[in-house]
Amino acid sequence: MPNAIKTYVRYVEAINRKLGKFAMYLVFVMMGILLFSSISRTFFNVPHIWAIEMAQFTMAAYYLLGGGFSMMLGSHVRMDVLYGRWSPKKRAVTDAITVFCLIFYLVVLLIGGLSSTSYSLEYNQRNYSSWGPPVAPIKIIMVIGIFMMILQSIATFFKDLAKAKGVSIK
Amino acid sequence: MSYEMIALLMFSTLMLMLITGQRVFGAVGFVAAAASILLWGKGGYEMPFNASIVLLNWYPLLTLPLFIFMGYMLSESGIASDLYRMFHVWMGPLNGGLAIGTIVLMVAISAMNGLSVAGMAIGTSIALPEMLKRGYDKRMVTGVIQAGSSLGIMVPPSIVLVLYGMIARQPVSKLWLAGVFPGLLLAAMFIIYIAVKCMLNPDMGPSLPVEERKMEWTEKLRLLGAGILPLLIIVSVTGLFMMGVTSLVESSAVGAVTATIAALVKGRLNRKVLDDTLHKTLSVSCMFMWIILAALCFGAVFDGLGAVHAIESLFLDKWGLSPWGVLIMMQVSYLLMGMFLDDTAMLVIVAPLYIPLVISLGFDPVWYGVLYTVTCQIAYMTPPFGYNLFLMKAMAPKEITLVDIYSSIVPFVIIMTIGLGLVMVFPQIALWLPATYFGK
Repeated sequence: MPNAIKTYVRYVEAINRKLGKFAMYLVFVMMGILLFSSISRTFFNVPHIWAIEMAQFTMAAYYLLGGGFSMMLGSHVRMDVLYGRWSPKKRAVTDAITVFCLIFYLVVLLIGGLSSTSYSLEYNQRNYSSWGPPVAPIKIIMVIGIFMMILQSIATFFKDLAKAKGVSIK
Repeated sequence: MSYEMIALLMFSTLMLMLITGQRVFGAVGFVAAAASILLWGKGGYEMPFNASIVLLNWYPLLTLPLFIFMGYMLSESGIASDLYRMFHVWMGPLNGGLAIGTIVLMVAISAMNGLSVAGMAIGTSIALPEMLKRGYDKRMVTGVIQAGSSLGIMVPPSIVLVLYGMIARQPVSKLWLAGVFPGLLLAAMFIIYIAVKCMLNPDMGPSLPVEERKMEWTEKLRLLGAGILPLLIIVSVTGLFMMGVTSLVESSAVGAVTATIAALVKGRLNRKVLDDTLHKTLSVSCMFMWIILAALCFGAVFDGLGAVHAIESLFLDKWGLSPWGVLIMMQVSYLLMGMFLDDTAMLVIVAPLYIPLVISLGFDPVWYGVLYTVTCQIAYMTPPFGYNLFLMKAMAPKEITLVDIYSSIVPFVIIMTIGLGLVMVFPQIALWLPATYFGK
């Protein structure tokens, strides 16, 4: 494998690992927001209108920013009736081909995300709610997550390719 | 090309993609994105991302990562091992007593957490080695753990019923209550099966030797104390929600925090446990969320094709089925589709097609949710797409082969199918409790 590819894989995985480790802790943020609003409402009779939406936004950031890292961890389920019986090499060859379908999906996702985000920015779109926060910031975070997922898929492609050729990428 | 042909083509492409072993979310997302672009051109590019905005507004889905976190925390906290010791001593004298104790343990865990991962993790780490050590039949052991942990999605809190509630627009509180008796019924049927089987064939689950269960009565009673903490958790999660103190999502946050505190009190919480739990939570949440994201887009394309009407006219006009025929057809189609489609994706894609039809035929959507969940339980256990099967394979010790795991589920799947039939014929099993509670 050329050095450029090795460097690419190393950098993308390093970034996604950092991003994933950050996203991992967002579960505490969700818990914090929900508990705070619950306690504040029940005991002090002070409801917070922003709590639900903030928690929702955190959730979107959680699974989208964590997406690349989850792919590195191999957490995505596959149908393994045939796949499970193949040799590692055959799996790598198939994956190296079909991963383009995955990338295609992610690219369409990104195109939609970009156009939706630029619309939100241009018209300063706000959520229809009593709090009414601008939606552009969370959309930007979502788009970043999708983009990092694409970079990770390409890195996965290189890793599969290396495995198929029987060479090391490290 | 007619819309039916397009729908068929989409499904067959999806099947082909899945067989290649690509990640499920990738396969579903690819077919959905490609179809929407081919069908609607420029506007089609927006569809996959629109699904993420829908998902952003599905507030109840926040329970997913929180329940996953709670489940792993519970399994680390050591609550389960105390509980298990309690059942161990109390049920030991019976043939098959440990297996029965495991089912009861699973019911307790299911009442604390909304997924089957917690039951699976606890079952394989605590109950499985104990039972194997006592000479239980290994097929009995793996079957019991898989069947027992599948109760996690039926007994409240249940994440599958939350997802169903969002799709069918039904109140989660009703759905959860409707799941109580069917869940207990299934558990009771499992227990009867184990008891009868072990009575006829004591080698499958020998009773504990006397010296091992010889224990002072005070000690025995003290062990019952192990049940207090789980009860507190059940009250703080489902109890507070049912009493209307916390909202659904807040109750799952309460659960996650209580489980963490329980682990802390038991002195089990350290850096490594926390790190593992966070990693697993992210892994499992991302898996589910990306599948739902892709499946929502797929569902939207189907909706755009007018699939709801197509199915209605197929079932009612072309095949001339009676309402009950339609219902049975739906359940059969779930089981068939479950053979090649992941169960979460199936719920998101197929349920929106079926639910309007179910309602227009005059069936209760809450009851249908329970039927759906039993079907899901069966699907979780049967190959090729069984989450419980995956987990079992990953967690089971070497001496348990794949053949063991596959064949161990057969009797339990039969029992669950009978249970499904019972709930179909006697809807009161599911509907009595919510009707009584809400005074309808």
